[in-house]
Amino acid sequence: MSSQFAISTRDLEKDYGEVKALRGLSLDIGAGQFFGLLGPNGAGKTTFINVLIGLVKKTGGDARVFGFDVEDEYRDVRSRVGVAPQEFNVDRFFPVREVLMHNAGYHGVTKEEAAERADEALRTVGIYEKRDTKFTYLSGGMKRRFVLARALVSEPDLLILDEPTAGVDVELRRALWRIITDLNDDGTTILLTTHYIEEAEQLCDEVAIMDSGRKIAVASPAELTQRGTDTLRIQLSETPREVPDIVGTELEAGSIEAVTTEGREVVVTAKRANAVAPELVRRLDRAGYRATSIDIEPASLEEVFVDLTGGEDESEDDAPESESKRLESPEATT
Amino acid sequence: MSVVSLGVRALARREILRYVRMPRSTFLPPLVTNTLFFVVFGVIIGERIRSYGEFSYILFILPGLVVLGVTAQGFQNASFTIFHGRWEDYIEEIQTAPLTYEEMVLAYVVTSALRGLIVGVLIAGVGAIFTLLDPDVATVGLAHPLYVVAFVLVVSVLFSGLGVIGGLWATTFDDLAVMNQFIIRPLVFVGAVFYPLSILDPLWRTVSLVNPMVYMVDGVRYGFLGIAEIDPNTSLVVLTVAAVVTVLVDVWLFRRGYGLTE
Ligand SMILES: Nc1ncnc2c1ncn2[C@@H]1O[C@H](COP(=O)(O)OP(=O)(O)OP(=O)(O)O)[C@@H](O)[C@H]1O
Ligand SMILES: [Mg+2]
Repeated sequence: MSSQFAISTRDLEKDYGEVKALRGLSLDIGAGQFFGLLGPNGAGKTTFINVLIGLVKKTGGDARVFGFDVEDEYRDVRSRVGVAPQEFNVDRFFPVREVLMHNAGYHGVTKEEAAERADEALRTVGIYEKRDTKFTYLSGGMKRRFVLARALVSEPDLLILDEPTAGVDVELRRALWRIITDLNDDGTTILLTTHYIEEAEQLCDEVAIMDSGRKIAVASPAELTQRGTDTLRIQLSETPREVPDIVGTELEAGSIEAVTTEGREVVVTAKRANAVAPELVRRLDRAGYRATSIDIEPASLEEVFVDLTGGEDESEDDAPESESKRLESPEATT
Repeated sequence: MSVVSLGVRALARREILRYVRMPRSTFLPPLVTNTLFFVVFGVIIGERIRSYGEFSYILFILPGLVVLGVTAQGFQNASFTIFHGRWEDYIEEIQTAPLTYEEMVLAYVVTSALRGLIVGVLIAGVGAIFTLLDPDVATVGLAHPLYVVAFVLVVSVLFSGLGVIGGLWATTFDDLAVMNQFIIRPLVFVGAVFYPLSILDPLWRTVSLVNPMVYMVDGVRYGFLGIAEIDPNTSLVVLTVAAVVTVLVDVWLFRRGYGLTE
């Protein structure tokens, strides 16, 4: 049995005792997609992945990979999936090349072929010269590269990457991006979780945003960005004494969320700033203000993410940044 | 294609390489311990202990020491490899591989049993050397070689299977030590390795019969020396059933994800 979906879940539930990690998650990820899974810490992303590969037993619902049930047809699922997990789980008894050979072997590959695949995977991720080193003695970035190599030796149809670029330098991040983009071009379905929104924006053709075990949104990054609010800055010839009263009911119904002033600037946050800009300028004109310049800052996926998830992301790497975004972003409710 | 899948063979290879590559911590300790046993109990004390029937004391204890080595090593290997894999999470490499649960258990049990068998052969070899060196002692023989093979195989599988359960159950390294120190060792020492049941009073004799180790030691002794206090066929059947049940329990635990999945 095969399926047009690489991953398909219905009402997936996972309770860890009192903690509800997944609450009725239904998600379809098409075969061949480059799919991003976003969500704040504790949203349930890793739990979702672990249910698929059999490291976590679901409490309820249905989960299939390429049409195969993750519990009843576990071997069919596992033979098609490669995972680079968030937490390292590598055999430390053997040099990394041998670990790769063993893993290829577990997937039913002969010893000779396993050796070839191990070398190839090590070259792909650029740590071939470290082949006789044990995992423990690799640097942090090399460890990240290695778990990707390990996911590749079984030549999976679905490659799952759980925060592959966390704590990785810019150069390596770009290298990893190139590798997985190439794989996707060759037909491998990719499921990527990340806290770097710009990563999802650049790589994924579809993203799901999760929070507290629920799916909040599924769309392409571009569509999601459109749901965000743009910032429109209209500079006036002189500083207004008060916030100009320019918002009519018809415009409000359209998309305007707030109007404030900053010195000589009128700052408008709006869903589609392009569409309302001309009318706003006309109204300012009628009210006796003269606009000297207009500037539109389009919404970013990051702002949309923060809006949708209540800005709860507390990942160390981008905490300061999301903090400032949160302060900037309007008190929009979802 | 062989009936044993490439996946199982890869896992078996990994498991065997792990212990073969570190002989100083896997094969050397039992070799040293047993050499000391033979020196102290066989040679030094043994000469002052009256022999059992036609056999010198060193020959009497040799089968028991083989059983001790086989069981302890099989148990230790299976429990350690599984617990360590859980502790460091790399058992997830196996859990996410397309092996059936039966195959996973097969690989762990067979390779652990093999380690037990290797140690058993080493111990028998050391014992044989001691008997060869001592002109007053008959060289160890194999009265019923098939019984030796059958008992040692069944016993190694049984204890490797028990080791799998121990490895899944343990939550700390202390648990592993506790199982070895307080369960396996005592069973061995009151398991008729060092004395025949016939010297015990009737009450302790009966109590001893609850200890599975007694049947194993007696059976292996029958294989080596041709003397038995319990019918070896009965022992073999009971132990075989125990081994099969243990391995089935292993598979059931793997399937349930006991100690493995959240
Ligand atoms: N083994 C476990 N036992 C108990 N609770 C757990 C376990 N694993 C995860 N949880 C809880 O389940 C929830 C979801 O965790 P999960 O690791 O799936 O989140 P995540 O989206 O991957 O987060 P992050 O971005 O930090 O990796 C959290 O509340 C977490 O504390
Ligand atoms: Mg996670």
